[in-house]
Amino acid sequence: MSEALVSLLTALADDELVIGHRHSEWTGFAPHLEEDVAFSSIAQDEIGHAAAYYSLVAGLTGGNADELALGRDRSDYRNAILCERPNDDWAYTLVRHWLYDHADALRLEALEGSADENLAAVATKIRREERYHVIHADSWMKRVAHGPVEGRTKLSDAMGRAFPETLGLFEPFELESDAVKQGWLPVPSDELRARFFDKVRGSLDDLGLPTEIHAHAAAQAEFVASSSGDLISAEDATAATAGSEDALGGRKGRHTQDFSDLWDAMTTQYRSNPGATW
Amino acid sequence: MEVYEVFRRAGHKDPFEHCGAVIAPDHEMALLMAKECFLRRREGNHLWVARRSDIHSFSDETLLEVAGDKSYRFNEGYREVIGKREKAIARAKELASR
Amino acid sequence: MTYEDKLAQFNAHIDAGGKVEAQDWMPDDYRLGVLKFIEMHANSEIMGALPERECLPAAPSLQRKMSLCAKIQDEVGHSQLLYRVAEDLGKGRDSMYEDLVNGKSKFHNVFHYPVKHWGDVALIGWLIDGAALVTQAALLDSSYAPYTRVLKRICSEEQLHLRHGEDITLELASGTDTQRQMFQDALNRWWLAIIHFFGPRSNVEKDLLLKWKVKTETNENLRQEFLDRYVPKILELGFTIPTPTPFEQNGHWVIKEDDIDWAPLEAIKRNEGPETARRLGQRKEMYDSHRWVRDALSEPAVNVA
Repeated sequence: MSEALVSLLTALADDELVIGHRHSEWTGFAPHLEEDVAFSSIAQDEIGHAAAYYSLVAGLTGGNADELALGRDRSDYRNAILCERPNDDWAYTLVRHWLYDHADALRLEALEGSADENLAAVATKIRREERYHVIHADSWMKRVAHGPVEGRTKLSDAMGRAFPETLGLFEPFELESDAVKQGWLPVPSDELRARFFDKVRGSLDDLGLPTEIHAHAAAQAEFVASSSGDLISAEDATAATAGSEDALGGRKGRHTQDFSDLWDAMTTQYRSNPGATW
Repeated sequence: MEVYEVFRRAGHKDPFEHCGAVIAPDHEMALLMAKECFLRRREGNHLWVARRSDIHSFSDETLLEVAGDKSYRFNEGYREVIGKREKAIARAKELASR
Repeated sequence: MTYEDKLAQFNAHIDAGGKVEAQDWMPDDYRLGVLKFIEMHANSEIMGALPERECLPAAPSLQRKMSLCAKIQDEVGHSQLLYRVAEDLGKGRDSMYEDLVNGKSKFHNVFHYPVKHWGDVALIGWLIDGAALVTQAALLDSSYAPYTRVLKRICSEEQLHLRHGEDITLELASGTDTQRQMFQDALNRWWLAIIHFFGPRSNVEKDLLLKWKVKTETNENLRQEFLDRYVPKILELGFTIPTPTPFEQNGHWVIKEDDIDWAPLEAIKRNEGPETARRLGQRKEMYDSHRWVRDALSEPAVNVA
């Protein structure tokens, strides 16, 4: 029965690891020195959170956190596709950081009430760091959105690409209904998604960023995103979803080429030296 | 009159440290007051004053707490180095004797 | 007071072990010399982030992924501290950064070289940070006081990096044959560059930075200190040191200066190292394509609702 708990924890851990990995690619390379230092801490936090979740999984299934993080097959990862997308530029990174951390805040708020005591305790601890992540993201979004036109335009474009893929963060994971029934996930994904859209729509208004497509997405949650970032109806989407460049599928282990590249870079050294300690 | 926070530096190798505050009408008076209040025993060689209203902080100090395990940022995170060194030297000796 | 009087007073102050603050009077040569020296140090910290950053995605455990990330973060933090100190001597950070990415200024030789695998992370963390710590610790008593204040913190973080690097090295040294080979391979590729790191023999008569006690030790003394400290440790782990190979003499580990091939260092001084163009190009591309980030930080908000 704890399979559903493992499934929940794996989705949480993989989201944190993969986005932490992407964030860490900015360390030593961000477009501003002080922000380089600041963003690196956020990357380290996310990887640390992943380690905490993996340790809970290892407690249930055996093995250890490193094996789970770096030793699994590509198709065993359950992160949302949003997390695996390359950093592109600072605008995309910032927008994704903002969207992800607001979504994560709502998820953690719910998980603090998890029926699994270990998960509830970890969520409480993680939430303390995530509060700062949200403030960091909010401050930067405000700065750029209210700043000169080039940054505003870049932010708006990046939002157009990233926002539709937030649907993937709320794609139900395997055995989710069991996890909800057991109280491990006290708030189901579709309810979290509704809360997220509510929250974000108001914020986008305040930031002066376009809200039409987002309002649309909120109303029609079954709508999916095409690779171009435009929202299309589920019917029109059938053709688009046949491709791998899809917002959904991550929770089922269906990933994009972006993930394959990341997975190769992240796991090859670990996997090619079985039994080695580092 | 405004509150001025006072900082002093003990020597060239030290950072400025906060040592108190004075209430003064402007920075010139604040410096005069601070000199005798905080440096009369040669506690330092340099003095700063800054208007308290120009100093900013996080509204919620708990944001500064580190929640996760960050032992890798501290020497304590590497306590095992000595044991590891012995192990590595032993392995080198074993390889040399082969 | 004439310029000559001021200069004489300044020299006497330095000779007596006096310190200099940013707002103090100083000869132009002192100001420019210190600025250039700290600017190069700052450049080296930020460029030094790149080789290790290239190894970060493949970090072989979660702990190492976080700790290497934190180590690179510290280096970026060092460059932030150092650029700030340099700025107070009269050159803005943007213009220092632009000179760097356009190849007009310098950074330490070791960061012009490629990295290949996790063995490089071990070697950089242990021996290159070890070499850097030897040189930086000698600067803690520099005559330019603002520099010494940031160096205090930098050295204590470098001390931690050294442990981090040694910890990784020791895991490789006591690990599988492949792991041991990783470190040996890195040592073979990096050794000459580490020897170069300290620079050629100092010209004590002509070096103004030595005269004014901005630097307190000669290059050759620092290199000797490094060799005496690290060569025994490398050998005791069973690794082989390539040419120029040190040998024992009168209680010291010595490298004959004739055995050192300086040509690669000369090329690097012209910014023509193996990775110079690629790494500077990456930085320049990022700098140019993200001007809007700096604008967003520096320009007042125009769109507040």
